[in-house]
Amino acid sequence: MLKLIKEVLKVGEATLPYPFKPVEVMPGFRGKPHHDPERCMACAACAIACPPNALSITTDLDQGIQTWSLFMGRCIYCGRCEEVCPTGAITLSPDFELAVMNKDDLYERADYKLAACRRCGMYFAPLKEIEYVFTLLQQSGLPEEGLANARALLEVCPECKRKNDVPKMVRLYQEED
Amino acid sequence: MTVAIAERTKVGKQYVEALRARFGSSILDEAWQAPEQVTVTVPLNSLPEVVEMLYYQQGGWLASVAVNDERPLNGQFAIYYVLSVEGNENEAGEKAYVVVRAQIPPHQPEFPSVTPKVPAAIWYEREARDMFGLQPVGLPDERRLVLPDDWPEGLYPLRKDTMDYHYRPEPTTENETYDFIKVEGEGIVQVPLGPLHITSDEPGHFRLYVEGEHIVDADYRLFYVHRGMEKLAESRLNYDQVTFLADRICGICGYAHNVAYSTSVERALGIEVPERAQYIRTILLEVERLHSHLLNLGLACHFVGFDTGFMHFFRVREKAMKMAELLTGSRKTYGVNLIGGVRRDILKEQRTTTLQLLGELRAQVTDLVNMLLETPNIVQRTQNIGRLERQVARDYSPVGPTLRGSGFARDIRVIHPYCAYDRVPVTVIAKEGCDVLSRTLIRAEEFFESISMVERCLDAMPEGPVLTEGFTYKPYQFALGYVEAPRGEDIHWSMLGDNQKIYRWKCRASSYNNWPSLRYMLRGNTISDAALIVASIDPCYSCTERVTVVDVRKKKATIVPYKEMERYCRERKDSPLK
Repeated sequence: MLKLIKEVLKVGEATLPYPFKPVEVMPGFRGKPHHDPERCMACAACAIACPPNALSITTDLDQGIQTWSLFMGRCIYCGRCEEVCPTGAITLSPDFELAVMNKDDLYERADYKLAACRRCGMYFAPLKEIEYVFTLLQQSGLPEEGLANARALLEVCPECKRKNDVPKMVRLYQEED
Repeated sequence: MTVAIAERTKVGKQYVEALRARFGSSILDEAWQAPEQVTVTVPLNSLPEVVEMLYYQQGGWLASVAVNDERPLNGQFAIYYVLSVEGNENEAGEKAYVVVRAQIPPHQPEFPSVTPKVPAAIWYEREARDMFGLQPVGLPDERRLVLPDDWPEGLYPLRKDTMDYHYRPEPTTENETYDFIKVEGEGIVQVPLGPLHITSDEPGHFRLYVEGEHIVDADYRLFYVHRGMEKLAESRLNYDQVTFLADRICGICGYAHNVAYSTSVERALGIEVPERAQYIRTILLEVERLHSHLLNLGLACHFVGFDTGFMHFFRVREKAMKMAELLTGSRKTYGVNLIGGVRRDILKEQRTTTLQLLGELRAQVTDLVNMLLETPNIVQRTQNIGRLERQVARDYSPVGPTLRGSGFARDIRVIHPYCAYDRVPVTVIAKEGCDVLSRTLIRAEEFFESISMVERCLDAMPEGPVLTEGFTYKPYQFALGYVEAPRGEDIHWSMLGDNQKIYRWKCRASSYNNWPSLRYMLRGNTISDAALIVASIDPCYSCTERVTVVDVRKKKATIVPYKEMERYCRERKDSPLK
């Protein structure tokens, strides 16, 4: 009993003054995901990886808009989005104070313009994603002429590419004969 | 359907040979999933005898029973009895998982019950009936186990063709209709303990049959919070996302489930996990055991009325939580496993801080445990209380400290080493007392063993990568994953599908194997010890809200609020029955 009293006196106050004083979290703590809309290109890698479907991508083909959205009510702070993001647009912050008065405040959205296909005019991929691929090719040292070709290819939708490729392949096949 | 396993590496061939010697052509097939995992297929009618022989003659323990709707694959249901076979008392044998598989034709959805021969199968067979509509013929207990009593007849959630995972059928009845066992006799009173108060603790409904203050028998209804995770995993998640769901099976030992799931898939696909990742997993599993055992030791204080001790255990436990936060980025739901390894390495400064925290924990918990044991009534309240006799333990296959408290030195970390446990051996702690005291002391000693395990692993871990990538997903492979969680063996049986999903995931938490033997621990004690005994198996669900006491003599049921039962357990005066 005496030992216990000694221990109690030694420890003193164990309760933290939170919320009147902030609580420090450990470095590397996985808190609320922070989204940088400038870096994001709406490629949907995060939405595919997200286990609880907190992240989603919706596509409006009429308006030509791709919407990235995060619903904090579902997030489990696993950080898979941060891991798979090719541009580093999502990072997990140390922020853990997430209570809101209004459920809508748990949503975060960002709209991205889609590119229209050069041939058929249909919207098919985010503009920024095409730019990203183009820049990658540029940085990999593709010559000017190759870049022009690449751009022409990148700005065509997969459907038109298929339609275009079949006659080309037939022609090649015939030439080989 | 199996990965090629080299003949010389196979462990447990002797058991399959013994089965062949006795059952001959009844052993239809033998398939090895891993060097220490073999699945033998037998005809349905020899199922009980084969399981019985493995269990009682070859030293088998029932680890799990997985049912799988394989109609889309081969037109049949299949039932897998997973046994950890370890050699009998006369002859120490190799330690292997022998899985007995039998096919069940859909036009006659029934199988001979194994329970009359091996009592440990009781819950699994009741679950097979609930979830798949497979009738265990000869099983005396015809009540539901998992499904609620107001669930429609004939709707079997885990059959592939019955329902979408979103579907929530209307309740079929207003009342709880669960048929508790009938205990009759002069002077026996029923005490219902539970069912619900989800806000504070987890739900479960206990019914204690008492004569005066003495418990004659007990019955319980659980699964009020069955979340349908297996269905969710096969329906909505990709196989590599299920690790994050596995983390959420339990709020205390989720990482153990995460490792069990990951290793089951890695084994099924034949993925080599880098050595450093195996060490990291081992470290985190032991960190999880630290906080889990401190929680239970704290509760042990609480239930014997030593609430100051409870507060201090929880204060010190905070260091273990900080350690987890430091190493994984989260206090709970570590989420660091991927199929193929881990996502986060342990860096030098993290290692230093961890070692420092471990030192503090060791010193402070030593003091607290001494204080707990010096409390005058701890031994008096726990010795010879809640006895789990050796034979009952042998029959029901409980796991973890519950089993080790009854003198069986069974620890999966030693019997079937996984992760780095074959390189950093652990000392198994077992006690002969069969009582609450033994189980509590085991947890206290295991706590210090875990500290030393983390230190040794931090020392021994090699440099190198922590994640294997670029493996191939192969359809319909299956294997077992197993972990010694703080409460005992967690075992996962996973089969991959052909669509980047899991085809069937049977995860069995340790408490599932511990609950059925609780009835025997409660018998013969006074009701003031009931809460203490339930807490001594450290159930994943730990508290119940109300108790019904049924007086057999007066044929009268009294409902006692759980808080009142708990108070009586601590203070032991003013019996709520008077």
